[in-house]
Amino acid sequence: MEKDAKMFWTGLSPDEAREALVNKDKSMRDKRMTLKEAVSEFVNAGDNVGIGGFVNVRQPIAIIHEIIRKGFKDLILSFHSAGMAPELLAGAMMVRPDHCSIKRIELAYWGHEGFGLSQAWRYLAERGMIEFEDWSNYNMSARFKAGAMGLPFIPTRGPLGGDICNTSRTKVIDCPFTGRPIGLLPASNPNVGLIHVQAADMYGNCIIRGTDATCAEIAMASAHTIVTCEQLVSHELLVTNPKDIMIPFPAVDAVVKVPFGAYPGACRRHYYFNSDHILEFLGLIAPICKGGSSDALKAWYDEFIFGVESFEDYIDKFQTKKLFADQAAESYNCERLA
Amino acid sequence: MTVSTDYTAQEIIVVAGAKVLENNKIVFVGTGLPMVATLLAIHTHAPGLIPVFEAGAVGPPLKHGLPTSVGDSKTFTGASYLKGLNSAFELTQRGFADFGFIGGAEVDMYGNLNSTMMGDYPEGYLKPKVRLPGSGGASDMAASCDRTILIVPHDKKKFNEKLSYMTSPGHLDGSPDARYKAGMQGKGPYRLITTKGIFDFEEKTKRMRLISIFPGETVESIQAATGFELLIADNVTQFAAPTAEEVRMIREEVDPLGIFVKRAAK
Repeated sequence: MEKDAKMFWTGLSPDEAREALVNKDKSMRDKRMTLKEAVSEFVNAGDNVGIGGFVNVRQPIAIIHEIIRKGFKDLILSFHSAGMAPELLAGAMMVRPDHCSIKRIELAYWGHEGFGLSQAWRYLAERGMIEFEDWSNYNMSARFKAGAMGLPFIPTRGPLGGDICNTSRTKVIDCPFTGRPIGLLPASNPNVGLIHVQAADMYGNCIIRGTDATCAEIAMASAHTIVTCEQLVSHELLVTNPKDIMIPFPAVDAVVKVPFGAYPGACRRHYYFNSDHILEFLGLIAPICKGGSSDALKAWYDEFIFGVESFEDYIDKFQTKKLFADQAAESYNCERLA
Repeated sequence: MTVSTDYTAQEIIVVAGAKVLENNKIVFVGTGLPMVATLLAIHTHAPGLIPVFEAGAVGPPLKHGLPTSVGDSKTFTGASYLKGLNSAFELTQRGFADFGFIGGAEVDMYGNLNSTMMGDYPEGYLKPKVRLPGSGGASDMAASCDRTILIVPHDKKKFNEKLSYMTSPGHLDGSPDARYKAGMQGKGPYRLITTKGIFDFEEKTKRMRLISIFPGETVESIQAATGFELLIADNVTQFAAPTAEEVRMIREEVDPLGIFVKRAAK
């Protein structure tokens, strides 16, 4: 097949991704640091950022807060289905365009399922404020997988037949073995992966409960990965059953213990959705889309992100009773003895 | 059985959707009303139905109630298999999913769905009139499940000859073997459930065909709410109104919080 002038890589090309990993210090060393340190070191202007989790489940919300606090410029967001993570970034762009900007999004779905549509997505897209490229969920998870496999592309059936083939970098070829059409998707190798997990050790080995989403693939595909965890445990405990380890330490560059790090989203075994808080936040964005004032949204960011030093301070703003209730709701979903 | 006198449009969709599902089959369930219908089917005639959710859960018993998300913790507990998105879609691509159950915002006569954008395409793709959430896993289910069940609220503006954007391929242009020629697997759209009735896709032309009419509607009223010419089956049935018990189950057991089935304004 001929080279296509329309083909381009966002994040790292396969060769650059290989080179980045070859040159990386892969030693088994203590990678604990603060979120401020991690974000300052690994998230840069123009980066392609791979966002872990699935919709509002185990999204790296604490890392997103820190990125907003620091400010971000021209980020490219890559995810399959996401909710509050892009919503928070986009809301920050709406109230502080000088401080925060998204350049491009490669995605399958941006919304909140049972909590409703993303008004920020509508706001940015309908005003032509960002570039974007639609894929399907499988397309995006397969693109990360190709990146993790060290391959430049992966074949899938997912995009065939519809317009995703026409608006994305998909190439449809005749399969050299069957002769039937097959879709080829370019690998995604983000500059940095953002992942929240249930447990990690100080080297970056991670255990994930509930859905794996595509977190391992994102971590393995990215040049760097920041991990936040509910529990930071000893290496010996973490490797009790080595097959439990979903992300191996050489794929991780920063480990930060952040309880409630996916809140107000849910985290298997730890807490269920704080739907009130999600709906309250979405309710602040909706009026702006209809031409209303952004004062209330600005006030939200001033109170919950710009006005605090850390994610711990943000969590401190919730009533203990509410945090307990969200933990109890998850205990009901996932009953465990002691 | 007592017939419900106050069921809503969403509730009859859920009841019809549940009835279309067959016991002991694997159904890949999209977010929203498909989840509600699946849970109702499990609670009623299809206790052996095996739901698969794209975040990775296969065959969970769903004993902790309606998931808010296809990645909800409630889908993980008791699942027979649980990994991530790649594994869920790979098993679908392999042929493990008998049915895919998805929704969309716009549909054409061949069961192609749009959940991406409304407006001018391709010129307006990057600045659409209305931006919708995007495919999610719907286009993957459409491409690879053996058959798909679609839910679209019936509205003349949403039943169009030409979609703004084809997110999830159905029978494409209806030509013979169109799906196979495009490289897809599976037989494509099997049933469409709307707020007005149930449709199949006629075997030869692959065109949308009315097979069952919801109470209060007629062939004419349904055609009038559709932006293209419908085929009408020879033996169109009248779909029975939901029973009081079915509606009670939806309101009290399946979706008591009104997560996806919104309560009628009092």
